[in-house]
Amino acid sequence: MIVLEGKSLAKRYEQQSTVIHALRGVDFRLESGEILGVAGESGSGKSTLLKLISGLEAPSAGSILLHGKELSPRRTKEEYRTMQMIFQNAPASFHPRRTIADSITESVRSLRGRNAPLDLASLADRVGLQRELMDRTPRQLSGGQCQRMAIARAMAVEPEILLCDEITSALDVSSQAQILHLLAGICRESHTSAIFVSHDLAVIRCLCDRVMIMRDGALVEEGPAAQVIRQPREAYTKKLVDSVLEIKN
Amino acid sequence: MKKRIKTPERIRRRAIVFLALAGILVVISLIAPLICPNDPYATSAADMNRAPCAQFPFGTDRYGRCVCSRVLMGARTSIFSAVALVGLTFLAGSVLGLLAGWYGGVVDTLIMRLADVMLAFPQMVLAIAVAGILGGGMGNAMLAMGISGWTLYARLARAQVLSLKEEPYVHAARLSGCSGWTIMIKSLLPNMLGPLLVTAATQIGVMMIGIAGLSFLGIGVIEPQAEWGSMINTSRAYLQLAPWAVLAPAVATIITVMIFNYLGDCVRDVLEAKEAET
Repeated sequence: MIVLEGKSLAKRYEQQSTVIHALRGVDFRLESGEILGVAGESGSGKSTLLKLISGLEAPSAGSILLHGKELSPRRTKEEYRTMQMIFQNAPASFHPRRTIADSITESVRSLRGRNAPLDLASLADRVGLQRELMDRTPRQLSGGQCQRMAIARAMAVEPEILLCDEITSALDVSSQAQILHLLAGICRESHTSAIFVSHDLAVIRCLCDRVMIMRDGALVEEGPAAQVIRQPREAYTKKLVDSVLEIKN
Repeated sequence: MKKRIKTPERIRRRAIVFLALAGILVVISLIAPLICPNDPYATSAADMNRAPCAQFPFGTDRYGRCVCSRVLMGARTSIFSAVALVGLTFLAGSVLGLLAGWYGGVVDTLIMRLADVMLAFPQMVLAIAVAGILGGGMGNAMLAMGISGWTLYARLARAQVLSLKEEPYVHAARLSGCSGWTIMIKSLLPNMLGPLLVTAATQIGVMMIGIAGLSFLGIGVIEPQAEWGSMINTSRAYLQLAPWAVLAPAVATIITVMIFNYLGDCVRDVLEAKEAET
């Protein structure tokens, strides 16, 4: 079943006399329980795509459909709840002067109502951290701990779709593995769909069911992650895969 | 000469000293009527232009009024008008800058073009024009200074908002369904206050000189109300005969402005040190 769909999505940024085409008519679909990877070089439009999907920015053209219903640029709280974003810079995604618990509580109360049940202890347990850590500010936690807290905040409102924007790129290898393992487990357990943006094809191959390869704001290739990375059809994808393998070798 | 390094301890000590001095000034201005050695408004032909003595510690002016008592009462007018003016311009400018930065578009254009118009005139010239049209009095002098004073905070607040609104925690707040007002009050305001407070602290001295300047020109407070600028203006014609009547309010102005300026610097240093620590 298709949960989320994008049709001819385009985004233009106009700066004085120059026009930057960040996205050029991208189509995508996300199935229920699926993890869709989005890969490409810097400036390929991966993060812009997530901004449009999340509602942080409005598309210049095209439409986004949630369960077949077109989303307007002014989202309802229920639509925000359905799609939760996890940011690349997790410590910066929490209010610098408030505790993690405060940030999570505010998010839950805003999206699920003031009387919504919230068990911070079980939430912390779910992401493999102690409840006490939630009483700290983001600056008092490590990058990996903050990323787990960001996952906890997203999961606290029981979303249907997680939007992950390069969530492991700022972490060390060990923390990356733990976060990926945690995310895969959570998506599997709660049957949550996810769009996972990354420039790391190895990570995408491990985690994602399908992958979209993007270049200069356009979709280059799409298909099952393992197949696209093992046997790329397009020359650009092949070059991208080869460049990763070259570095690894 | 060996330069002293600003250690957090030294910054803290300096801040405490200047905060205490500013506190003393505020307390003096509050209890001025209780500690005045004489009636600041009582005139006496027999005591005209008297040199400092036991009865009149700073001498008397050309109307025989006690300069010391008038300096103490003038502190109340000068300090409180400057603090109130800074408070009001800080509030108005910060709110307008916050709205301009957050909403952008027409709101931003309207507010910032209005600020540009205000900034096109030199502040003192605009203040003289406004005070000249509206007439004398402390209220009008404050309005004259405040009419362009808010622009400083508005521009600073707008710049802060434009930078902060791209922070991931503000994006996260938006995706948490928080309204614009909630984000402005809970996420933006607490994180943009530092630079605004530093500016406000340094502006107290500037406003004090501005109001004293208007009073000196005769378009600020109305005689016989005690105010340092008007005291200097009243006595300047008798500078050679009774220099104390000019020197006392002038020195009081200089000391007060210096203390508030140093306090502003201390607030900036403390906030910078705090930022560096975290």
